[in-house]
Amino acid sequence: MSKKNQINIENEVMSQIKSGKISMKPKWYFMLGSTLMFGSVVVLTVVSIFLFNIALFSLKPHYGPGAGFRLEMMINSFPWWAPIIAITGIILAIWLLKKYDFSYRKNFPLIILSFILAVILGAILIDILGFNDYFAKRGPMRGFYRQIENQTNDNFRPGKGNGLRLRKYNQDTFEIDKNVPK
Amino acid sequence: MRDIQKLSDEQIVEIIRTKDKELFSEIIKRYEEKLLRYASYLLNDSEKAKDSVQNSFIKAYVNLNSFNSKFKFSSWIYRITHNEAINYINKNKNEKPFFENLEIESDENLEEEYSKNEIISMIKTCINQMPIMYKEPLTLYYLEDKSYLEISDILRIPVNTVGVRISRAKALMKKICLKKTK
Repeated sequence: MSKKNQINIENEVMSQIKSGKISMKPKWYFMLGSTLMFGSVVVLTVVSIFLFNIALFSLKPHYGPGAGFRLEMMINSFPWWAPIIAITGIILAIWLLKKYDFSYRKNFPLIILSFILAVILGAILIDILGFNDYFAKRGPMRGFYRQIENQTNDNFRPGKGNGLRLRKYNQDTFEIDKNVPK
Repeated sequence: MRDIQKLSDEQIVEIIRTKDKELFSEIIKRYEEKLLRYASYLLNDSEKAKDSVQNSFIKAYVNLNSFNSKFKFSSWIYRITHNEAINYINKNKNEKPFFENLEIESDENLEEEYSKNEIISMIKTCINQMPIMYKEPLTLYYLEDKSYLEISDILRIPVNTVGVRISRAKALMKKICLKKTK
């Protein structure tokens, strides 16, 4: 049986090769594929770092006293779209690596962990090194950063929001001012 | 004429890619029987196995430029055959369940109880009743003489997982074979 199969398969495959019915994909095709994949992963990483950094940037003015109330306000005004897009980016990058992976054995848990760490560390580093302030003051992203800063500050300003007015109770807490007409 | 028999698979692939595409017949000769045996164990059908091996050779030829000569060619071509067989099984999923979440205890003592030849004959008798996730590493290890590292390359799973699956596969095989002989 195996001899018969051998002749059949060998003949069938070789006749397709000789007739030109099947041909080898050129080397550049795979190089282009790998380059595109690598490029996509790099772009997705940069975008993820940027979005994660925006999330950190929008939280920055609200460190300090009044933690409980501020936390609640922070959750309400947090730009959830930023981490959602960042996480989607991470998932997409991992999917790309898995689907178009032409290489061999890879430690995927390690790659995923490194990728997430790179995104978080990258975002924190940008924040610590003061690039956020730099971008908010000058450069092509100035308008965007200012918009996020203003939007967040507006949401945190006492006395604003849903027809209720807030007044400062003491140094750390706020309360709803019931005496103010709606 | 070159002494083709003395050349390694990787050297032959290099010649096919650069000089002589007809030398692909030598690759077919070297792997056809092994791949047919492997695919037959996975698919439980010699005709389907033949089709899948033929497709594997065609895919291997078309994508030959994506093969990295630094790695083992045998792992690469086994991987293609594995993918072909899995694609076939997925398309015909109703034919045989996967038993993905089957809980099976490990069996480290099978080698002490039986000789390697006895284990091989057990595999040949009972392999058809085993789920594919155990069938694959067991076949590759005992029937195709692949190392844990090569199996890890072919199945794209960590080496430790290969060990765990083989151990569980032996326990399952023992159960199935004992049932059969009772």
